[in-house]
Amino acid sequence: MPRRIGGAARAALLLALSATSVAAADVEHGKALYQTCAACHTERPDALGPSLKGIFGRKSAALEDFRYSNAMRRANLVWDDANLRAYIQDPQAKVKGNRMPYGGVTDAKDVDDIIAYLKALN
Amino acid sequence: MTTRLKEVDAVMVGMGWTGSILARELTKAGLTVIGLERGEDLSPRENFALPAVRDELRYTYRLELIQDPALETVTFRHRPSESALPMRRFGSFLPGNSVGGAANHWGGQHWRYLPSDHATRSHIAERYGASAIPDDMTIQDWAMSYDELEPYYDKFDKLCGVSGKAGNLRGQKIEGGNIFEGARNDDYPTPPLIMTESGLMFAKVAKEFGYHPFPQPASNASRPYTNSEGLTLGGCQYCGFCERNGCEANAKAGPQVCVLPLLRAEPKFTLRDRAWVSRLSYDKAAKKVTGVLFTDTRTGEEYEQPAGLVVLSAYVFGNISLLLNSGIGEPYDPVTSKGVVGKNYCYQLSRLGVTLFFEDKFFNPFMGSPGTQMVMDDFNGDNFDHRGLGFLGGCKIQLGHADGRPISYRPVPPGTPRWGAAWKKATAKWYQHAARITLSGSNYANRYNYIDLDPTYKDQLGRPLLRMTYNFVENDYKVGDYCMRIALDIARAMQPTMIGPPGLRRGDYDTVPYQSTHNTGGTIMGHDPKTSVVNRYLQSWDADNLFIMGASTFPQQSAYNPTGPVGALAYWSAEAIVTKYLKNPGPLVHA
Repeated sequence: MPRRIGGAARAALLLALSATSVAAADVEHGKALYQTCAACHTERPDALGPSLKGIFGRKSAALEDFRYSNAMRRANLVWDDANLRAYIQDPQAKVKGNRMPYGGVTDAKDVDDIIAYLKALN
Repeated sequence: MTTRLKEVDAVMVGMGWTGSILARELTKAGLTVIGLERGEDLSPRENFALPAVRDELRYTYRLELIQDPALETVTFRHRPSESALPMRRFGSFLPGNSVGGAANHWGGQHWRYLPSDHATRSHIAERYGASAIPDDMTIQDWAMSYDELEPYYDKFDKLCGVSGKAGNLRGQKIEGGNIFEGARNDDYPTPPLIMTESGLMFAKVAKEFGYHPFPQPASNASRPYTNSEGLTLGGCQYCGFCERNGCEANAKAGPQVCVLPLLRAEPKFTLRDRAWVSRLSYDKAAKKVTGVLFTDTRTGEEYEQPAGLVVLSAYVFGNISLLLNSGIGEPYDPVTSKGVVGKNYCYQLSRLGVTLFFEDKFFNPFMGSPGTQMVMDDFNGDNFDHRGLGFLGGCKIQLGHADGRPISYRPVPPGTPRWGAAWKKATAKWYQHAARITLSGSNYANRYNYIDLDPTYKDQLGRPLLRMTYNFVENDYKVGDYCMRIALDIARAMQPTMIGPPGLRRGDYDTVPYQSTHNTGGTIMGHDPKTSVVNRYLQSWDADNLFIMGASTFPQQSAYNPTGPVGALAYWSAEAIVTKYLKNPGPLVHA
């Protein structure tokens, strides 16, 4: 499947990240929480949500085989820590008008764990 | 000119729940299957996505997922002495029309029928004597007991990821679940949804009366769930747009989420949408059907699809229409009580209720799903003693917020003007503060409620429309009146600021306001070909390679929403076809 992933930008981000402390985040717990996301974000061609493999460091609306909302297409974000955190906490506040039917995660530790899992999801 | 297509092992007429389940089970058994669907194909990814799917005008009022009455509708009259007129806009009930069927727009209230519902006539006769059943009440037993169907109810539960709390696990009654339900072998696949404030208030008071409230079992998965086919459902987001709409969150069960992704990838299966089946080819002497005729609604061209096995998996009306228009089985005649096709058409006593207004409560009605209601079955079916009451059957009584949508949800106290500044002010004031107890009642068959072919009106293909002759009868009004008294006692004990007028059934059945899409009967199941259309495996008595699915096989309607047994019966029949019929084609029951 053709996928456009900003290679250089992503590598740079990953480097920057390894320097910050993510030791506190619990990847296994993040994986358990991610099951809610996985109901829609699958690798199936008819999935409701885009694949999140390699999402960390990727540009928003980057997959060619997924029809994103106009809001997401215009968002022009890079999915780094700050943007992922804001989006997972309150999807509509971060990208108003996007199509993801999910209210958000309120617990800050849960958000950290999900992000830790997303970083590992390749 | 009719184009003859290559023969397949089995053809499904309709691709909703039952067509999808049968197609899946038969392809698993190695058969080549074609699924014909009158409506268009849909994909949740394109058609049920935010924000378009939460469009109340488009789906609730303009009925985008509903059958187009300009193509095919039913005519209606209240009694045999009247001439019927066509319903030119669906209202009281809303048949689906697309791949996924009515399950695209159902709410998800998911029930098993009571053990006594499975033996309606014999249970009543045993408890109250045969004379308790009025002569014109043509109720019959189901052709299988609850216990026989239990493994298939279970199978369907696990396809759907139903949320709920068991009240009878292998005979052990469990507080907080429905203690009246038949024994379940297993608990619900997902726990109950988070209950609404109004549901909790209702449950508290109902318990004080000694009743047994429980959370509504719902095919709205309460958390992510991998179903029996390995497909994943999402957790409900409580958006309040279940019925009339597709589900944006993959949480409401339906063929599109629970079965079709696998069928679409199955080489033995072909899906053909906009394929409107007009009749079956029937060899009366051989007691076999040989295939179906259908019209491609894009081109108007007619095709013949030969098949070894035909499954009628359309809505109630489609199944009855295809039998009558193909000359299969004897049409029912209410005067002589002879014939079976169209007999025991039943509906449901719906949308009875009373609205409560609480000045100091905030209900957030915009959050919810059908599963965020508390229900009590203490006055459902034969869960209570009917001696001396003068009626049979009963209601489920429930309260909770499920769908406080901006256009249709405008509760106002009695005396509020119907329009204008005062109405606007009242809707704004009370939106947060109202809650409605609703009742849904059983509807027992009556000799004069039936379906046949209309002598005057035709559909777009030139076939006679179905004619529905239907009205509520004395028994129905009495069921409603009795259960409303119970509901009003609870309402008063909840101590609201105000109580609205009780909404009861009075006078003739009205086809305009929505009540429920719980039409049943017309091709009923039974043990005797003189009084039923299909045997206990849903196999036609008049053609052994014809199987008829869905609520058209119910001998009468209980107070419950019909989808639970519809799915269970599909699995039950599919197993009989695969393990019995395919090995030894012929009648599975000898009359």
